[in-house]
Amino acid sequence: MQRKNRNLKSQLFKVGFFFLIIGLLIFFSPTLIKIKEEVFEEMRLAIFQMNINKDNTTINDVNTENLVITNEETQILKEEPKQEKKTTYSYIGELNIPAIRLKRGFVSKESKYNDINYNITIANEADYPDVPAGNFILMAHSGNAYISFFDKLYKLQIGDQASVSYNANTYNYHLVKVYNQPKTGKVTIYRNSYVKTLTLITCTHEDDYNQTIYIFEEI
Amino acid sequence: MDLSIIDQLLKLLEIPFSSILMIEISIIFLLLYIFLVYNEKRESKKVKVFLSAIIIFFISALIFYFSDDVEFVLTEIIKTIMNCFYFPNIIFYFSTVIISLIMIIYTMLSSKLTKFNKIITYTFTLLHLFLFTNFITYAIINKTNLTNTANIYQNDNMYIIVFFSQILFFIIIIYKAIYHFCYIRKEKLKNINESDIMFRK
Repeated sequence: MQRKNRNLKSQLFKVGFFFLIIGLLIFFSPTLIKIKEEVFEEMRLAIFQMNINKDNTTINDVNTENLVITNEETQILKEEPKQEKKTTYSYIGELNIPAIRLKRGFVSKESKYNDINYNITIANEADYPDVPAGNFILMAHSGNAYISFFDKLYKLQIGDQASVSYNANTYNYHLVKVYNQPKTGKVTIYRNSYVKTLTLITCTHEDDYNQTIYIFEEI
Repeated sequence: MDLSIIDQLLKLLEIPFSSILMIEISIIFLLLYIFLVYNEKRESKKVKVFLSAIIIFFISALIFYFSDDVEFVLTEIIKTIMNCFYFPNIIFYFSTVIISLIMIIYTMLSSKLTKFNKIITYTFTLLHLFLFTNFITYAIINKTNLTNTANIYQNDNMYIIVFFSQILFFIIIIYKAIYHFCYIRKEKLKNINESDIMFRK
């Protein structure tokens, strides 16, 4: 009788333990998925950084002794085949906001992954960071989903810094303005058009009807 | 950092008395220690429960006070585990291979393990080693630098090989853990029953 009881207890303990593990996994699955995305993101960024370093090494290693000077026309002809539509997941740059520990890459405007459901998205109207007095506009979700890359933007304060790595250059910005607008499908950006700007757009924290615009100016 | 070991020990003794809060914390820990040691003589169940509750309360209070930091630390721990699973560096990957090798040798030499357990172990560990040899061969053919983790995972084929070998490794580890957990409990129950029978006799 005692043996039976002990066996039953042991079986119950195992089953209970198994269900406890399953329950914990289900309960924490959104958080775990988000962390998994971060891990993959970090690896993509590491690959992106590695390729940048490789490119820089290649540029530095160019042997100028036997350099053949070509005219502009031939250069243009040679460059034409490169202008293919990119569909790969390789990053062209990286956004870094240390105050909220945000570090995320972005793909080119032409890439199919330049989509709010995959990445931080570059707006079609945006200029790239190397354009003088340009406005580099990035958009992303905020909330609890794993694609909510801008979920901690609401913690930013005026003066906080951000940097964008693009084309092996780093552009540093600081936050100058934050304002809300209703979600109507359109956004008006108020900025100093003589200064290079970084604009981040996301949904307002704990508000379903508004969006927040963060204006950063180059330092 | 540049202090001698004696200076370091002296500093360590000074730290608990550096502020009132530190003295309070030291007293709490000292009391807990005395209670635990004293209870080993008395073996009171009530005290055990009470002390466990106090320890949990104390740890919870600390977690609540430093919630942001604790959340950050926990996230980093999970991230590290996930990194080891999805993108292990060559040192970790090589360590898993050594563990697999030890498992094979132990399984071959052990007479305690069941045949079923041995077959399962051979299947998974050999598959794991087979994938590792594929990985090394692929790296040699493509002249991949294995010291740079990003360089390994840039190549989809290498990522797939590592990913599946990690799955195999974790399955065998979980299997072994469950097997030993059940086996030990079974052995314990067996021993208890045997002692019961002896006692009755």
